[in-house]
Amino acid sequence: MIRWSIPALVVAACVGYLIYSASGGSAEYYLTVSQLRSHPVNGEVRVAGVVQTDVQKSNGGLHVTFTEKDGTASVPVEYSGTLPDIFKPGITVVAEGRLGADGVFHATTLLAKCPSRFSTTPYTQ
Amino acid sequence: MILGYLGGGALLAGLVMAGFSAVLSFWAGLQENAVMVQVGRRAFFAAAAMVAVAGGLLEWALLSHDFSLAYVAEHTDLSTPTALVAAGFYGGQEGSLLYWALVLALLGSVSLVASASLGLKMAGYAAGLMAAILSFLLVVLVLVASPFGLLSITPPDGLGLNPVLRDGGMLIHPPIILAGFASFAIPFCFASAALLAGRPDAAWIAHTRRFALIAWSLQTTGLVLGMWWAYHVLGWGGYWGWDPVENVALMPWLATTAYLHSSMVQETRGRLRAWNFGLVMLAFLLVVFGTFIVRSGVVPSVHTFAISAIGPWFLGFLFVCIAFSVVLLAARAGVAAGGGQPVAPVSREGAFVLQNLLLIGVVAVVFWGTVLPLVSGMFGQQRVVGASYYERAAGPLLVVILALMAAGPLLPWRRAARLPSLRALVWPGATVLVALAALLVAGVRSIPALIALPLVAAVVATCLIQYARLGRGWSRLPSVFGRRRRRYGAYLAHLGLAVLVTGIGASHFWQQERDVTLAPGQQVTVAGYTLTYTGSEQRTLTDHTELVASMRFGDATLEPALATYAGLGGQALTHVSINTTPLADVYVVLAGSGADGTASFRIFVNPLVSWIWAGGAIIIFGVLLGNLGERAPATEAVRRRVPASVPG
Repeated sequence: MIRWSIPALVVAACVGYLIYSASGGSAEYYLTVSQLRSHPVNGEVRVAGVVQTDVQKSNGGLHVTFTEKDGTASVPVEYSGTLPDIFKPGITVVAEGRLGADGVFHATTLLAKCPSRFSTTPYTQ
Repeated sequence: MILGYLGGGALLAGLVMAGFSAVLSFWAGLQENAVMVQVGRRAFFAAAAMVAVAGGLLEWALLSHDFSLAYVAEHTDLSTPTALVAAGFYGGQEGSLLYWALVLALLGSVSLVASASLGLKMAGYAAGLMAAILSFLLVVLVLVASPFGLLSITPPDGLGLNPVLRDGGMLIHPPIILAGFASFAIPFCFASAALLAGRPDAAWIAHTRRFALIAWSLQTTGLVLGMWWAYHVLGWGGYWGWDPVENVALMPWLATTAYLHSSMVQETRGRLRAWNFGLVMLAFLLVVFGTFIVRSGVVPSVHTFAISAIGPWFLGFLFVCIAFSVVLLAARAGVAAGGGQPVAPVSREGAFVLQNLLLIGVVAVVFWGTVLPLVSGMFGQQRVVGASYYERAAGPLLVVILALMAAGPLLPWRRAARLPSLRALVWPGATVLVALAALLVAGVRSIPALIALPLVAAVVATCLIQYARLGRGWSRLPSVFGRRRRRYGAYLAHLGLAVLVTGIGASHFWQQERDVTLAPGQQVTVAGYTLTYTGSEQRTLTDHTELVASMRFGDATLEPALATYAGLGGQALTHVSINTTPLADVYVVLAGSGADGTASFRIFVNPLVSWIWAGGAIIIFGVLLGNLGERAPATEAVRRRVPASVPG
């Protein structure tokens, strides 16, 4: 038993180090729009908010600008790429990218909260 | 309406029978009362029958469009194709729980039929545990998430299924992965029963092996199909996003992969008893944890989950299961420990132990990435990790596991390997060097690719050596045919994994993408593949309109499309168009069109993606080949091979 606890500890230490170093380098803050406004973070962050009605598409739909808003604050977002299918005003998106000096959030990925098998719209009638 | 009452009644009756079976089976196991063990088992069968009746009623309600049931109205409508209406059974929260209970009840019944040989104590305890888990699911189904809830007013039509899910993938991926999830409970019950009964020998492993393999195979199939579905439907060019939903499906698979290997050490050498119990329990705990994470909405995910009432129930169940497992393992540590001789570091079992530690390391990496938002949220600002975290943390571990896959099968059991017996390692070693040289000549400079791909080649070399050896030397021994078949199958599964990893590696390292806006007649070239945009047209179908763009690619025409479902608030749906060859997929997504006839595309060239699906199929084929129709190894024979009383 003693003989195997040594390699086990070595593996555990390696795994611990890998987790520590990898998460230190690539963990991003997950913020709401108001949190982004009140505590600007340098570097990549993910910002969740609701898409407003000012969606402007250009370049045949490959470039888009819109305003992302939560209860109190809003931020203009700029993104290039294909849009998630359910992207439209009113849905919640998570934009991954950084806040530029121009006050615009430059998103590199745009994730829409996608309807899963388990989300149901309760029937109201 | 009547179906709702009948279904609710069937669930309640099932709950009563399952609860009765749980209490009686435990008591009968404790008393070693043969008659009562039998009665407890039959009560479980009765509960299973009731769950099956409830399942049948729900399916009937779905197919007959009985919109008086809230579940039917919320998940289907009159225009949904019949097959997808049937799939609505597991398409929602409540139905998928019922499906889970159904799989547990049916597979559990099968496992209990075969459990008599394990002795009264174990058979009783196993039935009791299984009935207890089934009771928990039925309590949730009856009290908080009943699929048979009725609406006060019956609507004329239902809400229908989300268009993203209106796809053939819906018919195969969810039922298989959910069945996989459900079936991890069976090895857990038998492992716990063996510990409770103080029977840590390999008898439970022999009995449980088939069910662990079933769970593992279902989960493997479910994971690969999930990747395939995401790749073909979601249109982001990839197949795995390290989303919490994917992670929680991966973790029990990793733990069971570890168990399938370490259980061989116990079968052959009588070692790693406590570890094997721990792995089986861990797999089940990860399933319960995953269900809690997925269905409670506690971590941010691209999937939004209905914040439903079942979250706290599963959290409570998780705590009970963790406490039960920890207490049981601790209390029986003395019984489970020991057995067999010490493990030599450089030997087959040494390789298995290291592989196990590394797989659990990968589980730890994935687990931490999954719960980080939860943990960091408790101590301040929520943080999340993306794909780069998993690649950097799990990548090195996976590389060592690949190396072990190449070296381990060539090491001898039992004794520490000496130099002469290591001579066989020359072949995978030489393969690594050849593959490395070939990649360097081909101009590959990515370090991860230069490490991973030669190791994959070495894994293939090792499997081929094993086939050569098996074919030559073992043919004289027909008595070991059963075990030999297992090895043939296992190495085929290894080969399948090598193919799969090659596909993942190639598409990961060498994917190319390009965003482009084209006028009709214009060409674009991505990674040497040239496509010509020929024009687009609007098509009107029954429930949606489609903008279809045509691209000429060689002799083929690719038609990526954008569909709009007017009935569902104008929801859009991208139809990806993929041209698959063994070497690469050309993957075209239509982003939109301009008034002047131009269209914008995102085009991916994904090398060797089809190898991933082929690899998955080979793995499953290998497992089937090695185990299908295998007769249950007699418990006696196993006990003789690994005496329970070998002093540790």
